[in-house]
Amino acid sequence: MSPIFAAGNGFWLPHDPWEILWGSLAFFIIAFVLVKKAGPMIKTAFVGRSERIEATLNEATSERSAAEAERDGIKADLADSDAEATRIVAEARETAARVKADMIARAEADAVAVRERAVAEIAAARRAAQADLTAEVSRLASGAAEQVVHANLDDSTQQSLIESYIAQVGANN
Amino acid sequence: MSDTRITAYADALVALARAEGATSEVEDELFRFARALEGSDELRGTLADAGVPAARRIQIVEDLLGGRAGATTTSIVSLIVANGRVGELSQIVDEFVARSAGGRGEAVAEVRSAVALSDEQQRRLAEALTSRTGRPVTVRNVVDPTVLGGVVTQIGDTLLDGSVRTRLNQLRDAF
Repeated sequence: MSPIFAAGNGFWLPHDPWEILWGSLAFFIIAFVLVKKAGPMIKTAFVGRSERIEATLNEATSERSAAEAERDGIKADLADSDAEATRIVAEARETAARVKADMIARAEADAVAVRERAVAEIAAARRAAQADLTAEVSRLASGAAEQVVHANLDDSTQQSLIESYIAQVGANN
Repeated sequence: MSDTRITAYADALVALARAEGATSEVEDELFRFARALEGSDELRGTLADAGVPAARRIQIVEDLLGGRAGATTTSIVSLIVANGRVGELSQIVDEFVARSAGGRGEAVAEVRSAVALSDEQQRRLAEALTSRTGRPVTVRNVVDPTVLGGVVTQIGDTLLDGSVRTRLNQLRDAF
């Protein structure tokens, strides 16, 4: 039997009019009950579903906005990080250059100081050697002079020196 | 030795010399002995040696001064030696001479020379110093070979140096 013949008798409608009446009546009753009772529930369910979908959509939109904001923040942070990194690198280069300059200046100053100290020490050593030499020459000369003087200090010279001294003391009054 | 003790010894010696009436003679003899003692480390060491009996040290003093100094001078030196004050004998004598001369209103000039000054030279030098200082000066001559030549006079805090030694030192320092 073809599914289109729902009456089971080979026709589209049953032959019994009461069956049609009762069937129709039952149909309308059921339809009425469905419209009256289940309709609002279905409508409510559809409305609720729509609201949930809308809420979900709103939430998704909000989350998307938040995600985009976060993305923008991250991008900004990344940009800031790049700038910070660039700044740090620049600063590090500047510091390194300054340290290098300081080290070079200090090394040059140390070298100058070492050179000056060496020059001063050489000069001091030279002066000391000259002083030692002068003292030795002086000692030898004075020793020789003393010997010569001593050899020539006879009694008459001694008396002459004493008389000269007495005269000088008397003259200075 | 403290200044107080040196002063006490000097005062005692002044009183003793005055009592004996031989102040000038004792001054001169003590001064000469003190200078001789300064010039002889051996004599100074012997007289200061506590290991040598005091009687022996006094005997040495008497042997040295006998016939060359008066009894008062010999007794004074013996006293100082017996008391173990040989190390301070020069200071005591210098103080004694200064006080004794000061008592007469005089100043004492210690005159060092390589050869001894004659009495005439000492007199003329004393006159020159008296004129220079404005007060009577007694000259005490010390023969000091290290002077080489000329004279060095110490009178109070004043030094009048006319020695050849100093001239040579100045010559050496001028180099």
